Amino acid sequence: MPMGHTATDQAGTGGLTATEHRLANGLRVVLSEDHLTPVAAVCLWYDVGSRHEVKGRTGLAHLFEHLMFQGSGQVKGNGHFELVQGAGGSLNGTTSFERTNYFETMPTHQLELALWLEADRMGSLLAALDDESMENQRDVVKNERRQRYDNVPYGTAFERLTALAYPDGHPYHHTPIGSMADLDAATLEDARAFFRTYYAPNNAVLSVVGDIDPEQTLAWIEKYFGSIPTHDGKPDPRDGSLPEVIGEQLREVVEEEVPARALMAAYRLPHDGTRACDAADLALTVLGGGESSRLYNRLVRRDRTAVAAGFGLLRLAGAPSLGWLDVKTSGDVEVPVIEAAIDEELARFAEEGPTAEEMERAQAQLEREWLDRLGTVAGRADELCRFAVLFGDPQLALTAVQRVLEITSDEVREVAKARLRPDNRAVLVYEPTAPEATADQDENEEAAQ
Amino acid sequence: MTELATMEFHPQPRAGEAKPWAFPAPERGTLANGLTVLHCHRPGQQVVAVEIILDAPLDAEPAGLDGVATIMARAFSEGTDKHSAEEFAAELERCGATLDAHADHPGVRLSLEVPVSRLPKALGLVADALRAPAFADSEVERLVRNRLDEIPHELANPSRRAAKELSKELFPATARMSRPRQGTAETVEDIDSAAVRAFYEKHVRPATATAVVVGDLTGVDLESLLGDTLGAWTGSQAQPRPVPPVTADDAGRVVVVDRPGAVQTQLLIGRIGADRHDRVWAAQVLGTYCLGGTLTSRLDRVLREEKGYTYGVRAFGQVLRSAPDGSGAAMLAISGSVDTPNTGPALDDLWKVLRTLAAEGLTDAERDVAVQNLVGVAPLKYETAAAVASTLADQVEQHLPDDYQATLYQQLAATGTVEATAAAVNAFPVDRLVTVLVGDAAQIKEAVEALGIGEVKVVAAE
Repeated sequence: MPMGHTATDQAGTGGLTATEHRLANGLRVVLSEDHLTPVAAVCLWYDVGSRHEVKGRTGLAHLFEHLMFQGSGQVKGNGHFELVQGAGGSLNGTTSFERTNYFETMPTHQLELALWLEADRMGSLLAALDDESMENQRDVVKNERRQRYDNVPYGTAFERLTALAYPDGHPYHHTPIGSMADLDAATLEDARAFFRTYYAPNNAVLSVVGDIDPEQTLAWIEKYFGSIPTHDGKPDPRDGSLPEVIGEQLREVVEEEVPARALMAAYRLPHDGTRACDAADLALTVLGGGESSRLYNRLVRRDRTAVAAGFGLLRLAGAPSLGWLDVKTSGDVEVPVIEAAIDEELARFAEEGPTAEEMERAQAQLEREWLDRLGTVAGRADELCRFAVLFGDPQLALTAVQRVLEITSDEVREVAKARLRPDNRAVLVYEPTAPEATADQDENEEAAQ
Repeated sequence: MTELATMEFHPQPRAGEAKPWAFPAPERGTLANGLTVLHCHRPGQQVVAVEIILDAPLDAEPAGLDGVATIMARAFSEGTDKHSAEEFAAELERCGATLDAHADHPGVRLSLEVPVSRLPKALGLVADALRAPAFADSEVERLVRNRLDEIPHELANPSRRAAKELSKELFPATARMSRPRQGTAETVEDIDSAAVRAFYEKHVRPATATAVVVGDLTGVDLESLLGDTLGAWTGSQAQPRPVPPVTADDAGRVVVVDRPGAVQTQLLIGRIGADRHDRVWAAQVLGTYCLGGTLTSRLDRVLREEKGYTYGVRAFGQVLRSAPDGSGAAMLAISGSVDTPNTGPALDDLWKVLRTLAAEGLTDAERDVAVQNLVGVAPLKYETAAAVASTLADQVEQHLPDDYQATLYQQLAATGTVEATAAAVNAFPVDRLVTVLVGDAAQIKEAVEALGIGEVKVVAAE
């Protein structure tokens, strides 16, 4: 095959392997050895995300993630952070639509500590959870929301597009950060109930990757996690399925104090884990990934109507994925000019499909992204958990890049034709407004400089 | 309590025996054209990182053309004598490569990352860009317009806006450091392809450049690869270039950049201080970490984990320029954002933390944890080729020996609590900090004035 030539012999896996295990309490374990550097990554995915939240309690999964760092049965206060960092490790947690993950990367000789810490909070968080940490972290999360979304230009674009693309009542209609009102409304009892429902060994996957002795590691895992009781009663997430195309163009115009006009859009795309999703990834890369893409060449290089133009893919397993278009206009250019150019490019692409050279470039870009992802023990641990939790098979992580390289240009054209259409998108337009009047002493002081 | 009853608890495990790890030592050489090359073999790192350091500092930009170094850096990937701009971008991406270029005070940096199997081709493209950049009129004109379009976006971003104001306050108006690195609308407008080419011809040549290559180089004949690519680049010998020393006015004062309606206030509190050529650097790194390096450092322990005023506040030292003659400096700063109504109380607490540190010093326990973290994370931090290459390039740019980072770890481990305290207190003296607040002046000005941390001036956002 002329295309899909690979950058490494094993197309990204570098000969990596992973073994799978399951404790009696249902905890799934994935181990992968790599002795190149004396470090080990621990990654724990809980199968709970914002899609499991109920009306009036948006943001609870993420607020809860913060509470997981506020101490547990044998760990005081900020001990999770203190102990890991004091051992020369790094750590964090993140919450998305479909999962919550916690991870530590440790020097090899401190691996056991990370396992002990994760087991302690999985088994005994409620022993430490109190009003004080709840109130404090509620304020911290509200400030996180302000910093990342409310106080920056276009900061709420993602939230608005998601709300447009997934209908009211759909589990993905709201984003993980949640609303201020719901963050205010969350109670300590909500947090306790959330833990009891979702934080169970049988609702999690633990991966350990790096400079490990698998037998010893498994023995530690059995020792620390083995006695945590299984509990059931997790409700199934609400159904996220939707028709393949939206069927009409949804649109919202935001008049806000932003530096320039912007055109953003979310296209409804195939679910993650399918060949069609990989094909969509390639289509979006050809159209809007990097500085040789069709939209970049058209809008930024040739028409010179945009300062930036690109496509991204938000892969989702429990609902249609989102193809995310983001264009910021240049100077006084109006949005319809941009929109017409994009529609023309997408229509042409749907007819012609990618050229052989475009396929080669897009596959090379995605392959390098995979090499980067699998090039660190932490990245590998996260991908093993991802494929275990979302698709039931961690081994799929090691062959993911091969699947992308096997996609044909016909498949790319097909998915573009079927999905990248005006009647399958939610559009968000930003029109800048004049800034609010500034305090009156300013002009004098400004003039004085 | 049912949750407690059902799990079997074990005591906290003790650490095993630490495995040796050392920051990699690069091999150094020089090509026939005078280009310095550092390389480092990192087994398993399939994505190779290449950093090219050009001695084209912002100080060298001609008067009135701030931003010409940035436009030149960007124009390197807009075509050569062999490829048009579009072809160049396409060829690079065909290698699965990324190429970033940016201009900063010490010089211009190009950063290439590419799978090792495609290194020869990608390095050839980068070498073409350095040897024979097209700098076509229309491409430079586009880059200038693009840059002009970016400026309003940066000014609308609270942290970027704060950084711009702090530089303007700290440094004398005549100093390049007082002005935005990538230029202002007024200066960028005047840049054209002739100006870019003139800057290139004056400041870009192999004799004053260094290439750093890091990754799994098994089976790569680096010498002939470099000879065929970067070796084909020619240029005259270098002239020594005088560098003015960095100076700043850090008299305690407050500037509010008014953003009516802002729900948060962006804080940036800074001054300049010791850089990496100063013996105090290791102690300063340690002390600054204890003050605000992480969520469990002193600032966040109060401002985040006790009061909930912020998602996080960090203290840091960032080298602006560093040289053996002592002319360099680092920006020492505290940054973060706090909700508007709590701006006064948050700053009050922040100053209390600084005063307590000066009065009581750090504890031995704090010092120990900080050393364990700063030294212990090294193997994690330097897992990728890109991380190693970036630190080696920083060393080159800052005129430091190749074993600097390795030595720094030894110095950190040998630094005591008293030295770390002294360095932190000297780095952040309560009466010599310039405070920039990007926020709603009408809501915060009065509360900030009441704190007595310096005169408060309000300026318009733009």
